[in-house]
Amino acid sequence: MIETKKLSRIYSQGKFDVKAVDEISSTFKKGEFTSVVGPSGSGKTTFLNCVGGLDKPTGGEVIIDGESLNKLSSTEIIQYRLKNIGFVFQAYNLIPVLSARENIEMIMLLQGANDKIRRERTDELLNQVGLYDMRNRRPSELSGGQQQRVAVARALASKPKFILADEPTANLDTSSTSNLLDIMNKLNENEKITFIFSTHDQRVIDRARRVLTLEDGKIVSDKKK
Amino acid sequence: MIFKIAWRNIYRNKKRSLITITSIFAALFLIIFMRALQFGFYDNLIKTVVESYAGYVEVHAKGFWDNQNLENSMVVDNELIKNIESVNGVENTVERLQSFSLISTGEKTRGGVINGVVIEDEQKITDWNKNIIDGSFQLERNEIIIAKGIAEYFDLQIGDSLILYGQGYRGMMAAGKYPVKGIIDLKNPNLNKLGIFMTLESARDYVSSDNISTHIIIDKRQYYSEDKILNDLESILSSDYEVMTWKETLPEIEQTITADSAGGLIMAFILYIIVVFGMFGTVLMMTEERKYEFGVLISIGMSRIRLFSIILVETVILSMIGVVLAILVTYPISYYFYLNPINIVTLMGEGADVMIEEFGFDPVVPFSISLDIPFSHALIIFTFSLLISVYPAIRIFRLNPVKSMKI
Repeated sequence: MIETKKLSRIYSQGKFDVKAVDEISSTFKKGEFTSVVGPSGSGKTTFLNCVGGLDKPTGGEVIIDGESLNKLSSTEIIQYRLKNIGFVFQAYNLIPVLSARENIEMIMLLQGANDKIRRERTDELLNQVGLYDMRNRRPSELSGGQQQRVAVARALASKPKFILADEPTANLDTSSTSNLLDIMNKLNENEKITFIFSTHDQRVIDRARRVLTLEDGKIVSDKKK
Repeated sequence: MIFKIAWRNIYRNKKRSLITITSIFAALFLIIFMRALQFGFYDNLIKTVVESYAGYVEVHAKGFWDNQNLENSMVVDNELIKNIESVNGVENTVERLQSFSLISTGEKTRGGVINGVVIEDEQKITDWNKNIIDGSFQLERNEIIIAKGIAEYFDLQIGDSLILYGQGYRGMMAAGKYPVKGIIDLKNPNLNKLGIFMTLESARDYVSSDNISTHIIIDKRQYYSEDKILNDLESILSSDYEVMTWKETLPEIEQTITADSAGGLIMAFILYIIVVFGMFGTVLMMTEERKYEFGVLISIGMSRIRLFSIILVETVILSMIGVVLAILVTYPISYYFYLNPINIVTLMGEGADVMIEEFGFDPVVPFSISLDIPFSHALIIFTFSLLISVYPAIRIFRLNPVKSMKI
C-alpha cells in the first residue's frame, strides 16, 4: 500500500514559490488501477515523481508498505526503486543501443538475477506484450506503440509492487493506446500489480477504476468506479 | 552488460569515436616515433662513449673516484668477478689498472693516463681494436699503444719509444722506457691527448705491484637498466667497494641527454594537450548529450556508480584502441629504423656527418626498440583517460533525474 501524508513539493522561482504539490494525502491499495488527471501544471507528474522517489518532497512523506521514503538515502532510494517500482515514461525512454530483449533484461541484471531467470522472465514478458518476434530489434526499429510495450515489459521485469506511468499514451495512436491499455489491464488483474497513471487522455481515464483529479497541486476529486 | 552498453555507445556515434581514436593514434604515433628517434640517438651516444673508454657500470675500491691514486686500488679475485657476473643484466667484465704519469721523449713532456688492460677481455666491451690507425692492437709485455693526440704531440711513429715517469704503488718510483706498438684514435679529443695502453701485467710492473687494479668495467645487456645493476651490485658487494654508472662517471653526457630530452618532453607535452582536449571534448559531448538517458537509467534503478562505470569503460576503450593502433604501427617502423638506421646527412644536410664523426659518433641514428617507450606513453594516455572521466563522474553523481529528463 502507498500512502501520502500532506505531501508537498514547492519550487522556488525567483521571488515566487510555486506549489506543484500542495499537501496531498491519499492512499493507493494493492491492485488499484488509478488515473491521476488534471490540466497541465496541475502537479500530476510532480506527484508521481515524489511517490516514485525521483523527486524529494519539501513537506510531508510517502509511506510504502509502512516504510517512509524520507528515511532512505539517495542510494537506498535507487535500490528501492529497482526492487519495488516500475516506471513507464511518456517518451518510452528505452536505451537506444540495446535490443528490446536487452532493455527488458537489463533491469533484472541490475537486480542480480541469474541468466536462466532473466531469459525466462524476458521471454514471458515479450509474449505478454506481443513482441516476442521483435525481441532482437532496437528501439529505433520499433513503432511508438511497440516501444511503449517494451517499456511496460521493462517496468514489469523486476516484478515491482506498483507501476508509475507518466502520460504513457501521449504519443500513441488509438489502436496502440487500446492495445497498451489491454495489456496493462490484464497484468493488473492477473498479477495484482498496482498501476498509477498520470494522464489527460480520456481513453485511459475511461479504463481506470479510480480517478484522482488534481488542480493547482491539490486533490479536487477522488472518484472510484 | 556494462561492456556491451559501452561498446555499443562507441559504435552509436561512429564518426565522433573515429575522430577521437584518430587523434589519440596520431599524437601517440608522433610521440613514440619522436622518442624512439631521440632515445635511439642517446643509446648510440652512450654506446659510443662507453665502447670508446668508460663502462656502463664501474666498480672501484671505496674512495677511488674522489681520490684517484694507487693507494685507493683493490685486489680483484675470482670470487669478486663471479659475484659481479652473477648479477642480472651483467654481460661482461674487464679489469683495468689506471695511473697518472708523466710522458716524455726528447725535449717534450706532458701528463698522461696509463691504462693496464687485458687485451682479449677489452675486445668484448670496447671497440679499440677497430680504431687502431697504425701498428697493431696485440701487445706483448712492456709494449704500449698510444692515443692519436700523443703521437701527434711527440711526433711518434711505430717502433719509437716513450719514457714514462710517475709514482708507483705505496710510494715506489715508477719509471720505464716503452716502445710504441700501435696508435689508436679514441674518437674523443680529450682521451686522444692522454691515453696510453699496456698489458695489465706491464702496468703492474710499472707501478711495482703484483696484483692491484683500479677499475672493474661492466658491460650490460641491451636495454637493461644500469641503475638496477648498480642497486643489485651495491646490495651484494661489501662496503670496501664503490659502484658507479656512466651517469656519475660521465656527468656531461647525462646532462646533454637530460637537456635534449627535455625538448622532446615539451613536444610530447604539447601533443598530450591536443589528445587530452580531443578526448575531453568527446567525453563532454557524450555526457551532455546523454543527460536525459542518464536520468532515465537512474530512474529505473541503475546505480550512479554503475552508470559511471559505463562512461569510464567507453573512455578507456576509445583511448586503448588509439593506443594499441599506435603501438602496432610504430613498433615495426622503429624496428625497421633500428635495423636500417637513419643517416644524419639526410636529416641535417651535407657536412653534418664529418662534424659528428669528429666527436667520435657514427653519423647514423638507429631507433630505440625499447618497449618502455610505447608502454610508458600508453600508460600516460590511459591515466589521462581516467582523469578525464572525473568530469562525467561529477556530472553523474550530481545528476537530478527529474531535471535531466525535462525536455
